Amino acid sequence: MKVTFAHMGNLWITVKTILEDLGLEVVVPPRPSRHSLDIGVRHSPEFACFPLKMNIGDYVGAIEKGADTIVMVGGIGPCRLGHYAQVQMEILKDLGYQAEMVILEPPRGHFSALLDKIRYLTGNKPLSRVVRALRFGWEKLYSLDCLDRALVKTRPLEPVPGTAGSAHRRAVAAVAEAGGIEATRRATEAGVAAILAAGETAGGGSGQPAAGLPAGTRTPLRVGIVGEVFMVAEPFANLDLERRLGEMGVEVTRALYVSDWVRANLFLDTLRLKRRSRQTIVKQAASPYLGHFVGGEGLESVGESVIYSRQGYDGVIHVAPFTCMPEIVATSLLPEVGRDLGLPNMSLFLDEHTGDAGLATRLEAFVDLLARRRARLKTGAEVAAPRPLRKPSTGHTCWKSLAGGRRGSEGKPCVPWDRRGLGDDQGYRGR
Amino acid sequence: MSPGGIPFLGKGAVIGLPRALLHYELYPFWRALFETLDLEVAVSAPTSRDLIESGAKRAVDEACLPVKAYYGHVMALRDKVDAVFMPRVVSLHRGTYTCPKLLGLPDMIRHNVGRLPPAIVADFDETKRGRGLGETGVALGRRLGKSGRQAREAVAAGFEALNAFRRALWAGVSFEEAAALAARGEGVPTADWRDVTTPNGHPRVALVGHAYNIFDPGVNLDLVRKLRGLGCRVVTSEMLSDEEVRVESEAMPKEIFWSSGRRIMAAVKRFRRDGLVDGMIHIISFACGPDSMVGEIAERETRRESALPYMALTIDEHTAEAGLVTRLEAFADMLWRRRRKTGGTYR
Repeated sequence: MKVTFAHMGNLWITVKTILEDLGLEVVVPPRPSRHSLDIGVRHSPEFACFPLKMNIGDYVGAIEKGADTIVMVGGIGPCRLGHYAQVQMEILKDLGYQAEMVILEPPRGHFSALLDKIRYLTGNKPLSRVVRALRFGWEKLYSLDCLDRALVKTRPLEPVPGTAGSAHRRAVAAVAEAGGIEATRRATEAGVAAILAAGETAGGGSGQPAAGLPAGTRTPLRVGIVGEVFMVAEPFANLDLERRLGEMGVEVTRALYVSDWVRANLFLDTLRLKRRSRQTIVKQAASPYLGHFVGGEGLESVGESVIYSRQGYDGVIHVAPFTCMPEIVATSLLPEVGRDLGLPNMSLFLDEHTGDAGLATRLEAFVDLLARRRARLKTGAEVAAPRPLRKPSTGHTCWKSLAGGRRGSEGKPCVPWDRRGLGDDQGYRGR
Repeated sequence: MSPGGIPFLGKGAVIGLPRALLHYELYPFWRALFETLDLEVAVSAPTSRDLIESGAKRAVDEACLPVKAYYGHVMALRDKVDAVFMPRVVSLHRGTYTCPKLLGLPDMIRHNVGRLPPAIVADFDETKRGRGLGETGVALGRRLGKSGRQAREAVAAGFEALNAFRRALWAGVSFEEAAALAARGEGVPTADWRDVTTPNGHPRVALVGHAYNIFDPGVNLDLVRKLRGLGCRVVTSEMLSDEEVRVESEAMPKEIFWSSGRRIMAAVKRFRRDGLVDGMIHIISFACGPDSMVGEIAERETRRESALPYMALTIDEHTAEAGLVTRLEAFADMLWRRRRKTGGTYR
């Protein structure tokens, strides 16, 4: 059995680690490229969302390298991801590929179906062995996200563009190679230090200014990125949004790292071990605007934007694949969030037709706007005071949804959200 | 103001129902519910070009045509009613959802449409215990200041109307007739479309899709009448009973988790397998998320497993009438040619 899976950013390292630790032969698909995308677009339904098309390109590339089994996640809706596997199987079948697809569905009340799939994949390895592999995979996932966090923090400060990026690439390769949890930790610590060192010269006052920052500016603009998890995590899909912004002198924060997603969706919160989970905080922040989950990351996009504004960010960029349903809800609400809280935001709906130059123009315009706004705020020409916070039921009388469950107290500051590693400014700090 | 923040609505106050989206699945329920609660119901005028345009101005570009039409219908109700009813229908069946856009719809309307009359919002969610159509309906009645007994009676009347409406649809009656039958409390027509053979071997065409695309002539450019004009007998995915949908759906390796997607998939399978129809048209709103998946599976399966002619018809606010007519004529011509060649059996 030669196992493969779809790409999403650096997630392949984690998945490869887990599967190989379980003794499976893994075929990593070629990195997404124009070529793999073309294959995906040609065979996928026109209005399917972008990640599905990219996945098809990955599968075809991997099958041609010899893979015969595809591991894919399922879902219970209402986001389309839950039916990806069925559609992708149909497409591969019509293309004449014999690959088998193993779909890992989230357990609904009982774990037996999921365990059966895992047993099938691993050839009846004991469960403790599986847990050990998952633990190792989690370490790599968390490490990679730490490296990404260090990178986006350093990029706007680097005197020579690209140095932080190459340090990051070397660190990722080291983490990918690491053969155990301890080795992964060591590689991560060395990697974070190397990446941060790439920005030191400017911050340390060596006289050489950061290349990306406008003259006379010392602190980079801070922009939060919210949106659909695949589009945020896959640089090929979002046309390297984080690098572009970083090179314009913007410090980017991603609302949702894959490790957060796993944490929220796969363990702690699903098992209700944590009472004030990240999900609750985000839901409360979003409640004046959106009173119900809408699948995918729609509610998170709204809630995280509100949280960014509380943390004094300069702006928010919202990224989603074209036709994404949950994010269409979010994009309908974000302009109002921006007006209320004085938070400039921009929605980017991306797909295979998105042009490089068009995106660059929009980003430059947005960053210019943020820079001018910050200057005006500094001189007092504009006042940052946002409109008073909205309550869930103002103006119209019955906005409080009936039988809608408990409501958040959106006036209260967020409690700190603990995180290991890179300092608390990456977490949710109340102002 | 009554408890729960709902405006005081006296006897005979008018509640506006936007004639869009799930209106085409639940209208008899809402109507019986509110009328039993001594409130009057006003439905917005049928979808028109102007109405869609006014809605499209307020909605984001990425939204689909039916959602834009919903915006338009809410805007048309402004200044005409005492309150507008915007249910958030999360789920109509255990294990399924409607659509993410419908889950966020009341919030999208609130933040994008100005000068709204007081709005009545309630979450109907069959996936959660005690939040279903009936339970939330009772809670809604109570919040409107009625007694628990009256609220329960209203929900019972709602279900009675809804069941009559659905049985009429399953027998093959049009939306308007079924709604009228349900409102009058009359019996269900006994004639069943499954038993009626088409005279002269006219082709029978299945129209599958969301109820709001099938039943709203303003959205689908009067598709049903156009098909009839071409000599086709039209049956729709709304004419399958819940039982038929359940049987087909449970036979699938993974059930579709959108309620209308589940029905569409079941209809495609049943129509195809039992030779109930001679051709199939799937009507899809441009950029519809669920249909992009369901339609793809349906189309590929149908192509692989049968010789049934299948056409996916995509509509949006820019769809031109002439283009649609051409495609329908080509489809109908092909069916008639097939009839001649096969001696009326289409096989």
